[in-house]
Amino acid sequence: MPFQEKSAWIMTLALLLGGAFYFMTVISMSSAMGRLASPNIPVVVVYTIILVLISILGHTLIALFSPKEANARIDEREKLIFVRASSISSYVFGFCVITALGYYLISNDGDFLFYSVFASLMLAQLIEYVVRIALYRTSI
Amino acid sequence: MARKPPISNNVRELREACGSMTQAELGDAIGVTRQTVIAIEQGRYSPSLESAFRIAREFGVGLDDVFSWDED
Repeated sequence: MPFQEKSAWIMTLALLLGGAFYFMTVISMSSAMGRLASPNIPVVVVYTIILVLISILGHTLIALFSPKEANARIDEREKLIFVRASSISSYVFGFCVITALGYYLISNDGDFLFYSVFASLMLAQLIEYVVRIALYRTSI
Repeated sequence: MARKPPISNNVRELREACGSMTQAELGDAIGVTRQTVIAIEQGRYSPSLESAFRIAREFGVGLDDVFSWDED
């Protein structure tokens, strides 16, 4: 498996775990309060720490097992894979953000807008890594 | 996902005829990863014109001897 594909798997795992932590926390806080909890900095900070820790540990591990590949530049096929994945991800992000903004115009709920834009960012990133993995395994 | 490119190649045959050159060695010679060489050999990726020329030069043959266009 190429280094960049392993990297995409690590980031997919990090985003899934980080996202699960973030939204489980928001849901439990909201259930306790009886309404949608306002976004707060500590939860975002913990989410960021989870993401950074998994990313650093995962990349260190795969680099230890394949140091040559870790230091290699991405080649022409990988550049193409990155560009396609990024392009698809940007469409998803744009669509989700516009939907979230549209919903805000109806609901005027700023907290919900924050969560939906944050979720859009997570989803778009997740899709970018999943598409990279798929493209590594199919024709491009 | 994308369709398989309509280009076939003899990279594997040329590599094996070249004293069993490994995919990693060919990759190093032309500046791509081993996985990209595998994708080229399996017809899952059509290399850039520059890489195609590099491959042909590496084997000392013409471009037509390495790559061919599949009509279907």
